[in-house]
Amino acid sequence: MSESDTDANTPFEPVESKEETFGAETPVTGQTKMQAAWSASDDDANSAQVASVPQGQIFEQIYKPWEGTLNPRWMRNWAILRHHILGIFAKGHRPWNLPTKLFIFFVIIASMTDVALALLFGMIGEPTLYDIWGVNRDNLYGHVMGFFPRNILYYPIVAALLVGGMISEDRSHGTSALYFSRPINRFDYAAMKFLSVALILLFIINGTLMIYYFVDILVMGKGWAWIIDTFPMFMATFVCGMILAFTYTSIGLALSSISRGRFFPAIGLIAILMGTRSMAAIIDALFDKSLLYIISPYDAVAHVCQALIGTEMTYEHPWVWSLISVVIMNGLALYLLANRVSSLEVTRE
Amino acid sequence: MVEELIIESTALTKSYGPHVALDSLDIRIERGSTGLLGPNGAGKSTFLKTMLGLIQLTSGEGKVLGFDIRTQGDQIRQRIGYMPEYDALNPNMDAIHQVRYSGELIGMNPNIALQRAHQALEYVGLGEQRYREVSSFSTGMKQATKLACALIHDPALIIADEPSNGLDAQAREFMLNTLETTVNQGQRSVLMASHLMDDVERVCENIVLLHKGKLAAQGKIDDLKAIDKEIEIHVWGSPGKMEETLTDRGMKVRREGRVMRVGHNGEGSYNEILQAAADIGTQVRRMHDHEASLEDLFLVIMERLGHDVKTSDDLLGGA
Repeated sequence: MSESDTDANTPFEPVESKEETFGAETPVTGQTKMQAAWSASDDDANSAQVASVPQGQIFEQIYKPWEGTLNPRWMRNWAILRHHILGIFAKGHRPWNLPTKLFIFFVIIASMTDVALALLFGMIGEPTLYDIWGVNRDNLYGHVMGFFPRNILYYPIVAALLVGGMISEDRSHGTSALYFSRPINRFDYAAMKFLSVALILLFIINGTLMIYYFVDILVMGKGWAWIIDTFPMFMATFVCGMILAFTYTSIGLALSSISRGRFFPAIGLIAILMGTRSMAAIIDALFDKSLLYIISPYDAVAHVCQALIGTEMTYEHPWVWSLISVVIMNGLALYLLANRVSSLEVTRE
Repeated sequence: MVEELIIESTALTKSYGPHVALDSLDIRIERGSTGLLGPNGAGKSTFLKTMLGLIQLTSGEGKVLGFDIRTQGDQIRQRIGYMPEYDALNPNMDAIHQVRYSGELIGMNPNIALQRAHQALEYVGLGEQRYREVSSFSTGMKQATKLACALIHDPALIIADEPSNGLDAQAREFMLNTLETTVNQGQRSVLMASHLMDDVERVCENIVLLHKGKLAAQGKIDDLKAIDKEIEIHVWGSPGKMEETLTDRGMKVRREGRVMRVGHNGEGSYNEILQAAADIGTQVRRMHDHEASLEDLFLVIMERLGHDVKTSDDLLGGA
């Protein structure tokens, strides 16, 4: 058989090229054939030529049909929720950055200092110190609504880190098209994003509150009488944690929805929380009027919570005004969120 | 035989206040591949959003894959694979997880979505790159990932918005091949919005041409080309006089140097050209039917609509 006959009958032409020989001495360049084909490297032109050298069928494009069934709406919403929440713990879901993950871990640990101290003083049998750290009305309030360090260093910063890119990055990356070209409606999208942030915040605030309360029962051997006495306080505090998480989330997501980056919503949320409180504190100090605290989200929620839990009131104006303020703040934030989410585009921004 | 329609609309109108974005469109798109063309502001984006069931119509009605666009948007979007023109990928996610997530958003079980994501990425040529972060991808790889996202649930219709946008020659070739394979081998339909006439002509059998929200043309490309049938002649000696003579005989002539394109008015056109050449003593060295490209067709249609344009680039710019 002649050489030309061999060529004609051979489906794949062998390549006699030094660069194509792979052996122990071959330098590892990290250049794959697909990289070359897609010209992802700096040396695009040369790469493309290497890839186009006939060297046999390495890629056969076969369309594979799929005839499975698609799950209903709740499963699609669950996918969004899972994507955001599992991203904190596992790879393959929403990529939260390392500082956010580390800070959440730090806050969870730091939020349980009261658990550790109550356990410590309970177990060493020091009643005076245990009374300071153990479960009581003021300590339950303090676990959720305590200003320093929880509501200045922990929860607002966690909320800011969580909401920062939650919607703004969908706008800047164009990933909103990924949602809205699927059978995901705007309400489901916003609701699942909201739930994702609120649930993570709730896990930190109310999760550690539950640990605080139930560990005290189990380790200190509290009886039914004590439980019946304190459980309403615990539930009121739990509701307060929900109001706090809801308020931080709604304001934060509203800011995220009007932005295209992570920084503005995050810093904006902290600025609103701290700025309004600082201004109200200055007015209170100068004119002895606490009314301006109703513009501070933290103080408005704290005032409502004081009324709910039944601790000593630290504000002079009626708590109902603070309740109205909380409702209005959340209403405005949710209106802004809904409005901006409805403007997210599928085709182009 | 009646062809199965994947998209049909009757008097479909969408207005934004006084601005009419889509004006009484009667569109019939059959199974297979269809190109969506139109100048900037023609209403292509509005049309795509309407087909996805994302915006409310002002009047008229439409169906995609048999589902009403006014009331069954969710069902439509479950059966459509939409590939957006612009970036729609999270740059910090691996391609495999990005594609899997897009499947989950349609309603696929997570494990099945992951399995299909592997298949879809293999199909679009990213099998070896599937665990790389999207941020490290070239434009071609990002486009391929978007296509994989659109194909993961094996949709009946793929809407590809400028699929070859920003691609180099090789990646473009691969993208167009993939779309062709999806139509021919996968038996799926493709609606492709593009401003690149060559790409549309390469992949699509049909076109829909929109202009100022109105339907300018629709149908098979080969059928539409018949409206621009011309005879190309290469003459030697007095081309100017030849042009004049042919024009005097009522023929439509376009001349560039010694090459002329004469409007085809039936079988008698050949004899008439030869007769004109004989009358003035000009040699006709070559004469053949000119096969119009989609670009030519577009220019003819635009000319009939009253636009003086030299190339499609003057008008087309994006969906």
